[in-house]
Amino acid sequence: MDPYEIEFIGENRIVSIIPNFSYDKIYLICGEFGPFRAGLPMNVPLWLAVMLKQKQKCRIVPPDWMDIEILEGIKEEEKKSRFFTKMPNEHYMVEAKLILGAANEDIPRAAEIKTIIKDIWDIRMSKLRTSMDALMKSGGSYGRLDHLTMMEINSVKPILPEAMDELYRIKVTSRKTIPATLNSSTYSQSGTSQNT
Amino acid sequence: MGFMDPSATEDDLKAGTNVEIPIWLAESLHARRPPLVSVELPKIYKETYREILNADACTVDMHKLGQYFYELGCYIAKYDIKGEVATTLMDTFKQRFRMILSASVSTDSITALQPLSTSERDRTAGAVVTEKALSRWLKRGDCPLTTATMVANHRKRKRAEMEML
Repeated sequence: MDPYEIEFIGENRIVSIIPNFSYDKIYLICGEFGPFRAGLPMNVPLWLAVMLKQKQKCRIVPPDWMDIEILEGIKEEEKKSRFFTKMPNEHYMVEAKLILGAANEDIPRAAEIKTIIKDIWDIRMSKLRTSMDALMKSGGSYGRLDHLTMMEINSVKPILPEAMDELYRIKVTSRKTIPATLNSSTYSQSGTSQNT
Repeated sequence: MGFMDPSATEDDLKAGTNVEIPIWLAESLHARRPPLVSVELPKIYKETYREILNADACTVDMHKLGQYFYELGCYIAKYDIKGEVATTLMDTFKQRFRMILSASVSTDSITALQPLSTSERDRTAGAVVTEKALSRWLKRGDCPLTTATMVANHRKRKRAEMEML
């Protein structure tokens, strides 16, 4: 899957905005939103929020987790833990990228948040790589993907499943030989006696 | 079958001659009752190479020695009476997975002299596509989450941390 497709899926997350205009309810495929009242916070899908923001029609309320202290905590936990910790949001990367991109001025300390989210992402990606290698080395036939977000899972997508498929294929073919070895040893004995 | 061995003078192969034939032919000849041939392991699956592979599979240049190492190995494994080829195949694959991983993030092109077998190259190519798409996504937009200044910050902070220690 392309990262943009995941971005598209992530854009359906609900975020809170404060519109600066008033309008009736709007009816969308993903549900009805509104009515819009200027100055009153309300929930809309992320894509709508970004669109309105680009037209200067609203302010985006930063999500609860988009906060330096909370993110610091997550980062520390992520650093300490051998496993993946639970992210505040299934699409944290998409949300961070879009909100910070469109509504930089609505988020307090946006630059620091940007850095810290990138840090968390980097830690998780490197963890993902090492655990992938460890999984293969240990010959584990299954991996648990707890708390991995869609974007992260996608980043290992063709290689990890394919490698596991191939490992399984090799395993199966080699297993097939075990009953065969009993027979083929007798064959090859007769074969060698004939050939040499 | 004498044409198989260029040095043979007769029309037929003598019993006991060593010739190289494709695996599909060897398989069917071996499957006869009684078998017409006995199959010897190709050099890369033999004891000496197996020892090298078991010691450190990453040092072996699969591009030179066995472009289809795993695929052929699956067929060859049944001619190894002790069944060690199968284990070697698995271990080699497990060890060399790391090479695919690192090859997928390296900036060289895949064809640039990397000691990977054909299937490993295919796998690497797939991984490179994902990797590129992801980094393109990260860089695009109003708020690229990887910027030069941030990388600089990272270094500074790392150095600061190290100085503290």
